[in-house]
Amino acid sequence: METGLIGILTALLVASVRMATPLTLAGLGETFSEKSGILNIGLEGIMLSGAFFSFISAYYSQSILLGLIGGCLGGVFISMIHGYLSVRLNVDQTIAGLALNFLALGLTSFFFLMAFGRTTNLPECPVVHRIAIPLLSDIPIIGPAFFNQDPFIYFTFLLVALCYIVLHRTEWGINIQATGEHPKAADAAGISVSGTRYRAALLNGIFGGLGGSYLTLAMLGFFMENITSGKGYIALVVVILGRRHPVGVLMAAILVGAAEALQFRMQTMGFGIPSQVFNMFPYVITVLVLLFSIGKNRTPAALGEPYLRNNR
Amino acid sequence: MKIIRELGSFILIAGITTLVGAILVLAVGADAGKAFGAFFSGILGSFYSFTEVLVRATPLILAGLGVAVAFQARFFNIGAEGQLYMGAIAATWAGLYLPSMPLYLHLGVAMMAGFLLGGIWAMIPGFLKSQYKIPEVINTIMFNYIAINIVGILVRTVMANKTSPLPMSPRLADDLHLPFLADPTRLHAGLLVALVCAVLVYLFLYKTTWGFELRAVGNNPRASSCSGISVKKTIVISSLISGGLAGLAGGSEILGVHGRLLEGISPEFGYIAIIVALLGRNHPLGVVLAGVGIAALQIGATTMQRRAGVPASISLIIMGLLVILILGRQYWVKSRST
Repeated sequence: METGLIGILTALLVASVRMATPLTLAGLGETFSEKSGILNIGLEGIMLSGAFFSFISAYYSQSILLGLIGGCLGGVFISMIHGYLSVRLNVDQTIAGLALNFLALGLTSFFFLMAFGRTTNLPECPVVHRIAIPLLSDIPIIGPAFFNQDPFIYFTFLLVALCYIVLHRTEWGINIQATGEHPKAADAAGISVSGTRYRAALLNGIFGGLGGSYLTLAMLGFFMENITSGKGYIALVVVILGRRHPVGVLMAAILVGAAEALQFRMQTMGFGIPSQVFNMFPYVITVLVLLFSIGKNRTPAALGEPYLRNNR
Repeated sequence: MKIIRELGSFILIAGITTLVGAILVLAVGADAGKAFGAFFSGILGSFYSFTEVLVRATPLILAGLGVAVAFQARFFNIGAEGQLYMGAIAATWAGLYLPSMPLYLHLGVAMMAGFLLGGIWAMIPGFLKSQYKIPEVINTIMFNYIAINIVGILVRTVMANKTSPLPMSPRLADDLHLPFLADPTRLHAGLLVALVCAVLVYLFLYKTTWGFELRAVGNNPRASSCSGISVKKTIVISSLISGGLAGLAGGSEILGVHGRLLEGISPEFGYIAIIVALLGRNHPLGVVLAGVGIAALQIGATTMQRRAGVPASISLIIMGLLVILILGRQYWVKSRST
């Protein structure tokens, strides 16, 4: 019984961390974007495009590295359109993001069907394999979840630390935050608002594309229409739950991943509770978090606002 | 000069989207003539196909009107999808469990129930925005997912059809159905409801004081507040009407098409409604035209997939591209004319 419980806990934690990885990656990108003042609802499209292009490049080259590069470029393609629309054309960021979600869903479904037709056996691409870190991976419960995973996951942990340092300990990170809080002041202080926002959009594309690539190159090994199925929106949730802080984003992603893993486990064990109860969980929590943050203003002041330089 | 530029920009947008569509059709190696023939015959090929476009347009118009009302008050309601599902729940519930009453009364009550629950579902984020400045974009998206999951829970538990293993509610009584307008097609009176709503929304927005205040708040909340309009109240009212119209869309889908509550009754109607409102420039007449237009695009694309092997996802590409070009156009026309 004892080992059985530990076994279940270990398996749950392993699954939580795996589920959390694409959300963390995309969430980190969106954190940069939102800190700089761009709310990008098109995260779903970024991830989907990343998943598709990583699959295509890995499938044809049989190389994971090229797959990763393809995934990043796929994400950047969508995020830079959004960046251009929001920074240069000052359009409504929400509608632009929504349109890009439609565009990405359409493009990826269209080209996937064009390349592979309607097949029942989905074409497969190479996937990354697990690498156990000696000694550390032998720690009970935590070991398998954090030290016996694929390199993607180790990279994600590293990235969280890196993003924290960049956002909170470097001048560029402070500039990003200034741009999102008070673009006019940032501009007056000699920071290029549009340059900063473009760079944040670029990071959002790279990280979001990587998040999408994780689905194809690590989790599944194949692509299908709408493979992200709302993961981009959950990544938006993770950003809010994590209060736009890299470590918070990781924690929130693991929490959401755990809810997801638990739900799969409950389904296989055949409890009478519909899985939707668990699916709903992160969204309800997000609404509650928004409720409890009343008065404590944690959103960047200029989030979603176009910056018009000549407007006084 | 400005009119010429406006007109020119629209012709350019139409040209670009058509060109992209053509390139995509050629890219899959389909016979272009056959594909475009299929596209148009899917829309206008027969009386039946045209009624199918109108059936598809009905929820888009209703939800699109809702989004337009909210956008006019600058309440960015991304939650039409969830409000539609809540409306569907309420309409099904009223149809299944209310005591028997005359048919038209029952239909009316069920539709009103849809309006109310959809409206309340939108009013929560509306209230939170107006009272506590909680951003509505994220909140309404969360409410979408919560609503969809509530539907999933209901059709598996309290509203489950005991005689079927599939997740759905029992069927409504056979006669409890919005009247068909043109037997033997599926065209139902939901379309009339949508058109009446369009007229009502027009009258409300442009001929009443409330409507004027709503638009004023959308244009300049600060000035409105200074001239004595209650901005908070206006936003809450706009969210109620907005969600109510989306709820009507859900009710009309239940009572006019499905006859029972199911998961996935809305193939993203609520999100497409945002595109409809944008294309229709948040004006009721524009929303009706855009709703029919988008419905035609989707139905045509489906026919094109069936007959010419062009993936129907081409309609998503066209929609996304159209919105991006129209967003960009506003900048282009403005920056050149000032």
